[in-house]
Amino acid sequence: MTEVSIEKLTKSYGNARAVNAISMKIAEGEFISLLGPSGCGKTTTLKMIAGFEDVTEGAIRFDGQDVVNTPAEKRDIGMVFQNYALFPHMTVEQNLAFGLEMRKVPKPQMRERIAKVLDMVQLKGYEARYPRQLSGGQQQRVALARALVIEPKILLLDEPLANLDAKLREEMRVFIRDLQRRVGITTVYVTHDQAEAMTMSDRVVVMFGGRIAQIGSPTDIYERPENHEVAEFVGQVNLVEAKVESVGEGTATVTSPLGNFILPTKISVKPGNMVSLALRPEAIELSMATAGQPAATVLASYYSGALMDYRLKLDNGDELHAQTFPVNRFAEGDRVALHAPAERFWLVGVAQ
Amino acid sequence: MSPGKTKGIGPYLLIAPAGLLLAIFLVLPYLNIGVMSFRVPGQGTPYGEGFTLVNYARFFADSFYIWQVVNTLWIGFLTTAICLVIGFPVAWQLTRPNMRFRGLAYGLVLSPLLVGIVIRSYGWTILLGNNGLINRTLTNMGLIDAPLPLMYNALGIIIALVHVFLPFMILPIMNGIQGIDPSLEAAARSLGASRATAFRRIVLPLSMPGIQAGCILVFVLSLSAYVTPSLIGGLKVKTMAVTVVDALIDTFQWPFGSALALMLSVTGAIIVVIFGRMTRMKWKVA
Repeated sequence: MTEVSIEKLTKSYGNARAVNAISMKIAEGEFISLLGPSGCGKTTTLKMIAGFEDVTEGAIRFDGQDVVNTPAEKRDIGMVFQNYALFPHMTVEQNLAFGLEMRKVPKPQMRERIAKVLDMVQLKGYEARYPRQLSGGQQQRVALARALVIEPKILLLDEPLANLDAKLREEMRVFIRDLQRRVGITTVYVTHDQAEAMTMSDRVVVMFGGRIAQIGSPTDIYERPENHEVAEFVGQVNLVEAKVESVGEGTATVTSPLGNFILPTKISVKPGNMVSLALRPEAIELSMATAGQPAATVLASYYSGALMDYRLKLDNGDELHAQTFPVNRFAEGDRVALHAPAERFWLVGVAQ
Repeated sequence: MSPGKTKGIGPYLLIAPAGLLLAIFLVLPYLNIGVMSFRVPGQGTPYGEGFTLVNYARFFADSFYIWQVVNTLWIGFLTTAICLVIGFPVAWQLTRPNMRFRGLAYGLVLSPLLVGIVIRSYGWTILLGNNGLINRTLTNMGLIDAPLPLMYNALGIIIALVHVFLPFMILPIMNGIQGIDPSLEAAARSLGASRATAFRRIVLPLSMPGIQAGCILVFVLSLSAYVTPSLIGGLKVKTMAVTVVDALIDTFQWPFGSALALMLSVTGAIIVVIFGRMTRMKWKVA
């Protein structure tokens, strides 16, 4: 088990900084995801950890040891690539044996370890197959097995599920997560899929433009996003205009079309400021409109089996997106009452 | 015509022009040569009446011809091997993503093909001859007393053949290497392989299809080369192709020349098939 610490890691291409002085600590056995849109520097960061990209500045430490000048093959990492990168001219068994041969593991022990790991990924009996004779999901599991059989210090995964179809992707999420828990290996997972990052990770690192926007547990990231960018990236979000009435110790009292609330605030606001409140669509509950409640008109409703999505219009003209279980259904033109608890709101910024 | 039927003959229609060309310019001539090789040698005419095995008997009875086949194969083999050794690094370098002057380098690779075969061979005689540029320079520098035998021997032929056939080695290998996913090398390194080991265990075996194609091309082209060996080998060293043309055109022995031509084709084909078997890639057909 290895602890990874990254300090002020930077990668420049000419004047452009793909990764800009990022720092993080990854605990032993932790599953951490680097999440962000393409070009945010997540893959470059992973490649620097793996040793495939030179580091412009900063340090990468495995258990305190700086590995920046260690070549990739000496870093003792297991890596799973987006396209699996299985050796097409080798059978499954030869693919798995490759890393063990490099480590000069004796033959009998090699066979034992390969059998064990193949059992783990449920691919016993596939030893003699060539990669092209396997389905995408099977190739994925071979890639995982090949990375794990060498018992590396760290497991790195670069968008490993991107090429699978939706159903298989969900199965593999659970599979990889369970496997990682069982093996207990420190894991860095790169993805642009927020659902993937949320369901699999102990902590998520959200990156934008080469910088870390937020590090936190999936709950932190989703329910307490540090800024609007993070909130938008990890899920849908409504913005509601509100007016600051009074300011307390780290809190502000606001009035909004959805009601009056006392909210914690990290930014400095003054009474009279117009601010934006953010609210997740599923935080809104709907009921038949009664007098004296914040209300809206249903513009459209969308049924997706497990959930109902509503497009709502507030009386001040603003639109809201609400997501509910399809228990009480409302039709276009219905007047509905809106309920949203104060703790589901957060204050994202002052309107200019 | 039903749609199903259209589908049935469609693919054949597409390859029909190529098939027709092959039939007219390859199969028919070969049949002609095959029949001709069993004709009776003529007296004052290219061939006589009836059929006989005498042309093949003459080939196998005279070790001169057998040795000539062996010699031709040997020249073909060496040309192929040298092309491979010189060509692979070039192909490798040309496929590197950070290669500079790629266009220029590509042009240089193709340059031997841009010059007519006679001019090119003549150019080599200017360079390689006893009184040629290389020998004169070396003599003037006092490095040698007598000219080095660079021409009118197998060495000269091989030098000139390597020059012209190098593109036929480099292009297929480049093609092969370009088809290799770069992340495979990264995967090998992540598993603990040095750059050199990753190259030997991953890149090299995966470029085998290109190497195989390049080798077969260069070997076959070397066996059938005529102008270069005849201009550079002169009268002293003759490859089988030169002897075949001698027999057909200079001495007018069509049946015997045909037999010689077929013997060369058949041995060449056998070697290509054996080579193909030896280098068969199980992972490709699997």
